[in-house]
Amino acid sequence: MGEKQILIKEGIKAHFIETDLFKTNLICVILTTKLERDNVTKNALIPFLLRRGTNNLKTQTEINKKLEEMYGATYDCGIDKIGDNQALKFFVETINDKYTLSKENLLEESLDVLFDIIFNPLMKDGKFNEEYLKIEKENLKKVIESKIDNKAVYALNRCIENMYDNKGFGIYKYGYLEDVDNIDNSSISDSYKNLINNSKIDIYISGNFDENKIKSFIENKLSNINPRKEDIITNNFSTESKQKVENIKEIQEEMNITQGKLVMGLDVLNPGKDIQDAVNVYNAILGGSANSFLFQNVREKAGLAYTARSTYNKMKSNIFINCGIEIPNYEKAVNIIKEQLNNMKDGKFSDDDLENAKRFIIAGIKTIEAEQDTEIVFYIGQEIAKQKIEIKDYISNIEKITREDVIEAAQNIQINTIFFLRG
Amino acid sequence: MQIIENDKIKEIMYKEKLDNGMDIIIIPKKGEQKKYIIWGVNFGSVDNKFILGDSNEVTKIPDGIAHYLEHKMFEQRSGINSLDALCALGVDANAFTTNNFTAYLYECTDNFYEALDEFMDYVQNPYYTTENVEKERGIIEQEIAMYDDEPEWQLYMNTMKLLYNKHPMRIDIAGTKESIAEINENTLYTIYNNFYTPENMAIVIVGDFKPDEILQEIKKRIIKKASNVKITRVTEDEPEEICGKKMEVKMDISRPIFMVAYKVKMKKENMVKKDLALEILGNIILGKSSNLYQKLYNEGLISSEFGFDFEYARDYSHFVIEGSSEEPEKVIEEIKNEIDFYLNQGINEENFERIKKKVYGDMVKDYNDVRTIGNQTMSYYFKGINLFDFFEEFDSISKEYTEQILKEVFDENKKVISIVKNKE
Repeated sequence: MGEKQILIKEGIKAHFIETDLFKTNLICVILTTKLERDNVTKNALIPFLLRRGTNNLKTQTEINKKLEEMYGATYDCGIDKIGDNQALKFFVETINDKYTLSKENLLEESLDVLFDIIFNPLMKDGKFNEEYLKIEKENLKKVIESKIDNKAVYALNRCIENMYDNKGFGIYKYGYLEDVDNIDNSSISDSYKNLINNSKIDIYISGNFDENKIKSFIENKLSNINPRKEDIITNNFSTESKQKVENIKEIQEEMNITQGKLVMGLDVLNPGKDIQDAVNVYNAILGGSANSFLFQNVREKAGLAYTARSTYNKMKSNIFINCGIEIPNYEKAVNIIKEQLNNMKDGKFSDDDLENAKRFIIAGIKTIEAEQDTEIVFYIGQEIAKQKIEIKDYISNIEKITREDVIEAAQNIQINTIFFLRG
Repeated sequence: MQIIENDKIKEIMYKEKLDNGMDIIIIPKKGEQKKYIIWGVNFGSVDNKFILGDSNEVTKIPDGIAHYLEHKMFEQRSGINSLDALCALGVDANAFTTNNFTAYLYECTDNFYEALDEFMDYVQNPYYTTENVEKERGIIEQEIAMYDDEPEWQLYMNTMKLLYNKHPMRIDIAGTKESIAEINENTLYTIYNNFYTPENMAIVIVGDFKPDEILQEIKKRIIKKASNVKITRVTEDEPEEICGKKMEVKMDISRPIFMVAYKVKMKKENMVKKDLALEILGNIILGKSSNLYQKLYNEGLISSEFGFDFEYARDYSHFVIEGSSEEPEKVIEEIKNEIDFYLNQGINEENFERIKKKVYGDMVKDYNDVRTIGNQTMSYYFKGINLFDFFEEFDSISKEYTEQILKEVFDENKKVISIVKNKE
């Protein structure tokens, strides 16, 4: 159990998570770069182009047929925002060789396909296929436009954009419509080369496999890839300095909807020491679970909402509160939420609240290793934040948090922005 | 205990019928840290008419009552809310209502037995008052409002309204603001007392357990109740024909979404085989390696995969296809042409074998997580199916059988089209 790191070359790391709990092997290759307005859209387009073919598997259909033959190996690529960084996450999930019908070797085969897609795309004279570029630009536009489809996520994104003034963490991870049209073949080809040559590369493998064999397999496959200096932004408790907010930003936007979506963005002021675990407990008491103040007061007592919760973004030292409410109840909901924040400051929570919150967080930590994807995401976060912690230490740190720690953390938490999506 | 083994995925299942008629299914997973329990009640949103005892009177209950009842199970006479109590133990507790059943559940790493006390206590002890039932109305109204703004849900509900003339699949699981206004503590008690009976319920447990031990622990916590209520579910005579051909609505959405569905005639047959054949057919006709997908993708008409599913229970079955496109009508026409092609030409042997392998892999992947295993086992249990049956029947699915299902299911006269368009 746990993660074993192997430096393949500078800027490129393999992370092995050996476990025989699962029927599957999961491989995830992550390319991380800084989130920048100039590059975000081009980087977001790259995975779309890469799925169109490799020098070995010339078309999308050939790739898909190959994956189907491998017992329906799942290939996908997602774009994530990790702190102030943009991460392109390519992954393949296959069933473990034990469960194949004729004892095939699927892990190496899937690594092979994945590397082929990422590092060996179909290019001619250093350029992508024009026709594919045209289609994939349209596809990216559709993804950017679909930002409005999930209203709750849209409201959260809009709150973050306003809080960060559309910079760094406030940049939309899929990029911007107006920038898509300006992309041409030479600029995207350059972006791709830049990404492959300069991004931080991490390869995660979870499952049942022979470490030495896989290590040399990776080294061999990546022998032509150059070492690089890591150029990402580290976000952790010591990096995020927040200003005291004099006036809370209040923003309202209209859409044709029946239920209003309220998002509050909170800052955790940096008191110069690690208060992450205390804030984590604070957040669980405030809005982490069904026992939380938000759930109990906004939903159960006032009956204003079906959804009422908060989440803590450790890297950015923010808490985000989300509620779906009837539109005329806006003021009422905001007041009840503010009351909960004040209660937290005044230490008006019971020892039971504290213990329940800690138990809730610890239960979550304990399931990390029981889910392949959750475990990989956990280690990715640590890698980018440069904060390495063992699961057992993480648990004991939470156990140590006292009522005073939480009250102290509460003094450092303030509302930055209130965003309301209304009908 | 009955022991069922599966060699392909190397899993084992224990099944026991308790004296009171309730089934307990245990799936041990050695070394697994998570434990999962789900308690299912054979009562869902489609159960809206029934006859009690030997009377001749048909009782019609308000739409959304199964879901309302699920929300109200957690409140206890002691003033404790069981969801809070379970949460305080650090377990992840929840409940949900489907068209066909209601389920109460929790997942945990620690405190399994402490949680089991609370869990089995609350499911067996309802406590409804005028006040606590009233309080929930606002919360459920907001849940309904949330779904009203979800284009995918509206797309699906419209499909059901087109497929079914009378069958309650037409009705939203949560009901409507108006229908839930009729619900009070008395209606909830009537439903509870008649449907939450042992022979109408089952428990599935997944995790690192010794089957005998966990079975004893369950038995200890079962409350003996006299249960001699006879319920007859009244099902509407649903015609074979569809109710309407096409429905289109406009919502705030970036790009149109569509659903094409085929109403499938119910008959006595092996549903596992049919389900597998349709999974294979869906992949062959619509999957990522299909001619259709590649053609539409290259023409810029679609940019993501089609979704498809064969949905069925004791008195309905249909096959749905969904997708999104700027030009939904054109894509729907192309789907029709492709299906016609396969109806005329049959299936290519090589494609069939490759896709069959993929479908097998998908099934194995589903068997990874205690929650997924528990939920699926429960869902199929109420269809009279054991999850392992899919692995058992897998080898027997032939190309010929699959082609026969193709002809049977994809009938133009039984096809409906639902579209949600974006506002200009």
